[in-house]
Amino acid sequence: MKPASFQVHLVQSQDEAIGLLDQFGEDARVIAGGQTLVPMLAMRVASPEHLIDINQIADLKYFGTSNGALQVGACVRQAELEAWENLEQVQPLLKMLFPWIAHTPIRNRGTVCGSIAHADPSAELVLALAVLDGSVVLASKKRKRVVKAKDFFLGALQTDRQPNELITAVQFPIAIKKMGYGFKEYGYRHGDFAVVAVAITKSGSDWTIGFGGVNDTVQIFKLQNQSLEEAIQSLNQLASEIEVQEDPTTSSGLRRHLMRTLGKKACIQASEFERGHGS
Amino acid sequence: MKDYTAKVKLNGVEREARCEARTTLIDFIRHELGATGTHSGCEHGVCGACTIKVDGKVVRSCLMFAYQANGTEIETVEGIATAGQLSDLQLAFKKHHALQCGFCTPGFLIAANELLQNNHSPSELEVREGLSGNLCRCTGYVGIVAAVLEVAQLRLMAKGANHA
Repeated sequence: MKPASFQVHLVQSQDEAIGLLDQFGEDARVIAGGQTLVPMLAMRVASPEHLIDINQIADLKYFGTSNGALQVGACVRQAELEAWENLEQVQPLLKMLFPWIAHTPIRNRGTVCGSIAHADPSAELVLALAVLDGSVVLASKKRKRVVKAKDFFLGALQTDRQPNELITAVQFPIAIKKMGYGFKEYGYRHGDFAVVAVAITKSGSDWTIGFGGVNDTVQIFKLQNQSLEEAIQSLNQLASEIEVQEDPTTSSGLRRHLMRTLGKKACIQASEFERGHGS
Repeated sequence: MKDYTAKVKLNGVEREARCEARTTLIDFIRHELGATGTHSGCEHGVCGACTIKVDGKVVRSCLMFAYQANGTEIETVEGIATAGQLSDLQLAFKKHHALQCGFCTPGFLIAANELLQNNHSPSELEVREGLSGNLCRCTGYVGIVAAVLEVAQLRLMAKGANHA
């Protein structure tokens, strides 16, 4: 379990990183936290010739609010954002789900953008970005573009990022007053990937429901003009209808069951959140 | 090819050695610096045996490369005992039979130390959650949790006595 040889480029600026990506394309991988990439290298699932280490790029260590969104730079560690005193106010859904991401030692090193870049369909941050309708900021030598989550995540570990592009930041919309948020997850052990995760936002009688871990990509559904009871009913229906993956540890039936039970709890949580914060 | 030099402060002592780009921090600490107290278990970030502190933050040393640790301060299990005396936590591990083969112990000690620094009177659940990133495959967790809870209590009592 040792990584194959590679060459490291300790870049100091975004331009330098983008220049190398332009030069090496698919032969290069970007590393920041490395909490997913290093195991992949160790197991030789990935064996790039070049590793572009962006940890020294100062302007990627920034996070904060601007233009109605929480901007999170590519080098921001998950634990840094988790510990931010304003997080609950700025985006409560993130506050709810951080404790579910692996363990403290992993969050101390792992980055928010890295999780998004990896695009695991059972990852909590992928689910959050999709359900909140957030965006990914990509930069290449020629242009900078902002891609909505729904256009960015193409499948399991598949994204719209081109080989010459660097993810410089992700943007989570800021919480709106009177909105409700809910998050529930089931995994086999604390810190494991989700067997099923449900994230919900509620604005009056409009609901956005996201399921993680059930399929190749996060599944997002919008329900309009529904009471709590009606939303739970719709969710039961969805759990029966959508395509759900099966694996040796979890039958599709169990996944559907978890979608219903966790979904109901998350709906109730979102309603209560709305009441508690509505005034 | 050992193209890189990593210079670290290991448990307060300046150390320096050559390494490859692909050398993980755990292998660097064990093979190049000869500090074999930290154990290498699963090598992909699951078991927690290689848990150490880098610049005050608890991390998995198998999920970092040695070149990334250049210029950092590292604390490993060897830094826990002072002047040949076991720490309170180590003594409690011994008392409560919190280890059998001892392979996971270095990681548990670092993680438990961190837990107790951040939370002076953790509940049993908080201890279990705090240590959930570390796996023990022989003794089980009852003794480990008991040891950590006891140390929390002893440290609180000692603190109270100092204030009185």
